[in-house]
Amino acid sequence: MVHESIAATNAVVTLDVALPGIVWGWIITMNMWAKSIGTGVIFMLFYLLKKYPTESASFRFPVALVSFVFINIFLLFTVIDLHQMFRFWHIFFHPHLTSAITVGAWMATLFVGLLLLLLFTSFIKKDDAQFDKVLLWTTILAIPVTLYTAGLMAQATARELWQMPTESVQMILAATLSGSATLLLMDTFVNKLSYEAKRDLGIILAFSALAAFILYMAELVFGPMKAEEVIATLAYVKSGGEYQTMFWIGQVTAFIVPFVLVLLSIVNRSSNILKLAAVFAIGGLWVVKHVWLVIPQLLSMS
Amino acid sequence: MKLGFLVDLHLCMGCKGCEIACKVENEVPLSTWRLRVKYVDVGTFPETKRTFTPLRCNHCENAPCERICPVSALHYIENGIVNIDKERCIGCAGCVMACPYGAIYIDPETQTADKCTYCAHRVASSMMPACVVACPVQANIFGDIEDPTSNISKYIMDHNGNVQVRKPEKGTNPHHYYVGGGNVTLNPLASFRVEGHSLFNKLTHLPVGGHH
Repeated sequence: MVHESIAATNAVVTLDVALPGIVWGWIITMNMWAKSIGTGVIFMLFYLLKKYPTESASFRFPVALVSFVFINIFLLFTVIDLHQMFRFWHIFFHPHLTSAITVGAWMATLFVGLLLLLLFTSFIKKDDAQFDKVLLWTTILAIPVTLYTAGLMAQATARELWQMPTESVQMILAATLSGSATLLLMDTFVNKLSYEAKRDLGIILAFSALAAFILYMAELVFGPMKAEEVIATLAYVKSGGEYQTMFWIGQVTAFIVPFVLVLLSIVNRSSNILKLAAVFAIGGLWVVKHVWLVIPQLLSMS
Repeated sequence: MKLGFLVDLHLCMGCKGCEIACKVENEVPLSTWRLRVKYVDVGTFPETKRTFTPLRCNHCENAPCERICPVSALHYIENGIVNIDKERCIGCAGCVMACPYGAIYIDPETQTADKCTYCAHRVASSMMPACVVACPVQANIFGDIEDPTSNISKYIMDHNGNVQVRKPEKGTNPHHYYVGGGNVTLNPLASFRVEGHSLFNKLTHLPVGGHH
């Protein structure tokens, strides 16, 4: 472990309590992963309806449904992570608005309401014009819903690895990555998108992967130059061990492989390669998120 | 009134009396601690020294735990104590993540967050916190840091220039001070924590209290 200890002091902890284990584990990873998909598909639908209105028209209901399902998975994992889950209603009746958790819960609830409206207008009312009006507000709200987890991580003082600016960008990139990947996979069943529309989604996927990868690499190289906690935290992905393995598996499967596959698909005009890239991106994103969530928690705070 | 704590590390002899008194007073469950004393050995034999550092909630003026708590279960009371309402806590563990001092834990019995409250219930009855009473060498000094005539204020003035807080760079303004502290005693990154070894046990990590 990297630390400030120097040979001259040779300071060693000889008696202390056992340190707490991981506080926010795979349940929170599921939370972030599902939210990325839930908001990401909304961003992508908004884009497709603007650029390819005819061929993407039949995506209105399926995307609203997929978003609704994944946002509810996100909410489910949020609630089951609570040690007192039946007190969840306290957030609404005793809200503390300086907390990103509170603000996020309120926004996510409103987001679910808008998704229900989208489902209603597309499945029952079948009113595309009204759907598109609601979709605009849903897309706008999807931005802070995507970002609030970055705020929550930023509020974790001394977990210096999580900084608001980089985490915000990573959250948005995770949404565009997983959103484009999910739509590419959904087209397997809907089968309405032209190659050009799918290529656009592939390009969004590839650039999200590339940008996210560059950010992680930048954190890896330059992060330790800012704070001692970052040095110690990143040691878990630099100095061997399970998290180093997981980190690189995540980077390769979520970012490098999908980027290369998208390039190959464009060269070969192959939709199937795009779908393979989508599967890698969605699976790899979970691993990337998990490692980044866990490693700051391995550090002793006292 | 703003209550504060000061520990004179020159006096502390690591007896852990404060730790036990706290456990008993607050019925702190097994495997969790509101207050603990950490031993750090410094130097190379035969030039070695053992340091003792009592660690508890810092009752920060700008408390990250209070800020992140979604339901105001963690809240300030008028005397500056950061208190917790366990009936309101939803157990999201945001405070556990936000505290830069690792002072908050999930109580495995109540499934809520818990931490040192400077024995707010005793203070309300004009009694000293249990750890202060138990300390055999009066290394714990507790009082009003806004009153220049209080013991703690006098102690701080007498030791001007040798009073530290933990992680001042975090901007939390702790109301918990140390005299005679240094990098080794106050900075957790300044000492080795050998995996799988301490004096009396081989436990390095415990599962987070309770269950989901």
